[in-house]
Amino acid sequence: MENKQTSILILDDEPIVSKRLKPSLEKKGYEVEAFTTSAAALARVRERQFDIVVTDLKMEGVDGMQFLTEVKEKYPDTEVIVITGFATMATAKESFNKGVFDFLAKPFKLGEIAEVIAKAEKKIKGTK
Amino acid sequence: MQSFLQQIRGIFNRKKKETVPFKILFAEFKKSLELNNQVLDIIADANDKLSGDYIFDEQYIQSTCMELTDLIRQLIVTINHLTEQKYSELYTSFHLIEEEIESLLQGQMLNQVKDLILPYASVTRDLTDSVGGKNAHIAEIGTLTDLRIPEGFAITTAAFLFFLQENELYDWIFTIRKQWRQKVIPVEEASQKIQRAILDATVPPQLEEVILDAAAQISKGYRDIVPCFAVRSSALGEDEISSFAGQYLSCLNIPVKEIPQAYKEVVASLFSPEAMEYRLQMDFRPHEIMMAVACQLMVPAKASGVMYTYDPVRPEMETMIINSAWGLGEPIVAGEVPTDAFVLDRQPPNDVREMQIVRKDQSMVLRGCGGIGIDGVEEEQRTESSLTKRQLQELARIGVRLERYFKRPQDIEFAVDQQERVIVLQSRQLRLQHERAPRACDLTGLGDKYSIIFRGRGIAAMEGIATGEAWVMREGGDLKDFPMGGILVARHATPQLARVINRATGFITDVGSTTGHLATVAREFRVPALFNTENGTELIRHGQEITLDTECLTVYEGIVQELQYYSIQEEPIEEMYEYRLLRRVLKKIEPLNLTDPEADNFTPRGCRTYHDLTRFVHEKAVETIIDLNFYHAHNRDTQAGRLVWDYPLDLILIDVGGGIEGEHEKGIRPEQITSVPMRALLRGMSYPGMWDMSPAGVDFSSFMSSLTRTTSVRSTSPEDVGRNLAVVSAEYTNINFRLGYHFTVIDAYVSDNILDNHIYFRFSGGVTETTRRARRTRLLGRILSHYDFLCEMHGDIVVARLKRTDRERMLQRLFLLGLLVGFTRQLDVKMVSEEMITTFFNEIKTIMEKENGK
Repeated sequence: MENKQTSILILDDEPIVSKRLKPSLEKKGYEVEAFTTSAAALARVRERQFDIVVTDLKMEGVDGMQFLTEVKEKYPDTEVIVITGFATMATAKESFNKGVFDFLAKPFKLGEIAEVIAKAEKKIKGTK
Repeated sequence: MQSFLQQIRGIFNRKKKETVPFKILFAEFKKSLELNNQVLDIIADANDKLSGDYIFDEQYIQSTCMELTDLIRQLIVTINHLTEQKYSELYTSFHLIEEEIESLLQGQMLNQVKDLILPYASVTRDLTDSVGGKNAHIAEIGTLTDLRIPEGFAITTAAFLFFLQENELYDWIFTIRKQWRQKVIPVEEASQKIQRAILDATVPPQLEEVILDAAAQISKGYRDIVPCFAVRSSALGEDEISSFAGQYLSCLNIPVKEIPQAYKEVVASLFSPEAMEYRLQMDFRPHEIMMAVACQLMVPAKASGVMYTYDPVRPEMETMIINSAWGLGEPIVAGEVPTDAFVLDRQPPNDVREMQIVRKDQSMVLRGCGGIGIDGVEEEQRTESSLTKRQLQELARIGVRLERYFKRPQDIEFAVDQQERVIVLQSRQLRLQHERAPRACDLTGLGDKYSIIFRGRGIAAMEGIATGEAWVMREGGDLKDFPMGGILVARHATPQLARVINRATGFITDVGSTTGHLATVAREFRVPALFNTENGTELIRHGQEITLDTECLTVYEGIVQELQYYSIQEEPIEEMYEYRLLRRVLKKIEPLNLTDPEADNFTPRGCRTYHDLTRFVHEKAVETIIDLNFYHAHNRDTQAGRLVWDYPLDLILIDVGGGIEGEHEKGIRPEQITSVPMRALLRGMSYPGMWDMSPAGVDFSSFMSSLTRTTSVRSTSPEDVGRNLAVVSAEYTNINFRLGYHFTVIDAYVSDNILDNHIYFRFSGGVTETTRRARRTRLLGRILSHYDFLCEMHGDIVVARLKRTDRERMLQRLFLLGLLVGFTRQLDVKMVSEEMITTFFNEIKTIMEKENGK
């Protein structure tokens, strides 16, 4: 595990999110795959596990909440980070109940999400 | 806040009048202030999002606009409540702006100008939708760099629509286009029909007149020759998609009179079969099919050519490529003639690495009476290099310059005129071969390869990567000496540094705010900026080469090639739709046009942005409160009077209960004021020497009179007086000062109950930013924080809050605010150097210690 690159899946239906986030995280040494539809992302997580999943909540088709629920059921040790433009206490609470690692309200800074991801990575490495 | 407002309200319940009770007016007034502050804070935050440091989506832009629209609506409702609907016209301006923002959000292309033509001097990047990319690019180069471009003007997309509509062609063209799309007719037939109709149409006289006028205006400067023009396409989307290049027509050496005819030909080329097919592939929507046209003074070129600032196939070679030949550039661009080829080092002194001089028998030249021809080249010139060594060097500098400015490798067309000067004709992004692009994942572990000066320090005011020579600004250092392409390293992010924006490739400061003026300018010019590094000026050596990566908050020693390549490949954020959208909507929100309350445009109809509306409402709210309670004395439940004291501060006091004692027909003397917070403030404001603390030779009385009006009550009408207002009660004070262009708001409640006590202080500067203002902001921040205030700074707005502090300390702090109010108005004049911050800070501290024994 030590030498393996940490893998991250990003799901957000607004392309700008992946477009900005993917190169920024790759530059920091992560292996990143980005999706703008939950169907495609879902298909991908059925194929393989990611160490970290970054997902929006509100999207067309499969809802982000459903998506992260499935991810957590399938891979309990994948850390999920929720990013959303509609941050309410209720959604935050529900996310945490599902075992979400952290919750970020959009817009956020590149540095902020990098910090959260680094924390999640530390947790993963610490448990393995 | 709520509880004590209620207390104030309680005071008024004793009297009932048919006029609106003051408590209601005052509640509305305070509401307008609160809304005003919210609006300005949201605007400052939205601008911050342009730094590239944030990830935001369309949703954010939508909700921010919605929120602002809602607040502005409330503001207008509020001011109309206050004034019995006196400013209902504000709704008209508001709806106009709201609609414009709405249509931007819905992705509609805005014809931002109604002008049919625009001289290059007035064309900016924001007008790309009106003038097309080619015009916008070249005009921007001319305005914002010192490079030479041909004189010229743009015939706008508004003119295009006007031309087609006057000839009843617009809808017709799209009917024909539809027939083609539905495969009723082939593309050739559709194209031919449309092109013929355009060529047969008449340029409306109104359009013809402005075109001929603009051309004549430029021609005036040339007495010896009859100037002719190049009439070129500048279609929407033409510049962004490079394979579009060459699809449309350029007409060369056109005499002024023939420009309208050439205009029609260029417009017709928008509907060539190739262009129509191409747009179909690119999924252009009908409203995106528009042709603006460039009219540029013809350069009688001795030689012409094309420069690539990188070798597109082998960018790692670090070379620039130049091809040139004698005469006009058209056959060179079209690849029709043999050209001299030069390969130059990208790094100064830009040595020529390779040079291939070919035999050039013919060249394209201008004919005297208009038109062009092919001539034989003079025998001795045929084998001579078409560019001199000096010109090659100049081209290299121009290339680096444009590349740094546009942040991408450039493909530049140029001409050398008869005086041997290099003139830039066009510059657009050069696409490098993709498989050569370094990938982001190759960039890990740079820290092992390069030595890091610091990492993880500061905040990015503008995202990006910069490489260059560090120029560390010392006290007394002269920005004149700042080198081209340098990275400016300074203690503070002062607006004054913006002077070098055209020369700098990066900014690094020890201290600075991402919402300040320099940050805004850095974003406008896309210069990477890292602020708040704490001690960057100590860690970075003057003159050393460095690489700045703001995303990783890292500065490397030397030039990190990997990052340099990466940065030129990366899609710059301004090429993202959301970024452009935010920028566009902010143009309808942020600029302040109403700067002077005495000016003619300071009217509801003069409001063109949300900021204007906010500013107008604030001014009128203060004015109304003074007017109703002092001049017209509608409200019997208040007492009002003008402060009479030794300092010429024109202040109207409105007492809502127990704030003033005794008779006040002839004005209120300071000793009559019983309002506890107001007394403390006035004691500070009138502290000996505060009005004139430094020996700077400012004429005190004229200085003060520029800030406040000193006319007497009786000789003046309410409209003529400064808007300084204090609403007071025994334990409460709310102050609104407008001093020159500065606004100060103080809201304070002081009682024996610690839990109820609060002070709110808000200070905002005017429109024009100066270094001294920035210093003033920092001085205020330093002093206020020192005395326990919680401070926030947005640009040059300072907001300070203090709560739950005992009575004695609250009064000391109010005394301090009084000192600052008396004193800060002078600071614009006196903050002549950075040291003044410490000097003034110490002086204030001394006074505080002396007065308060601590």
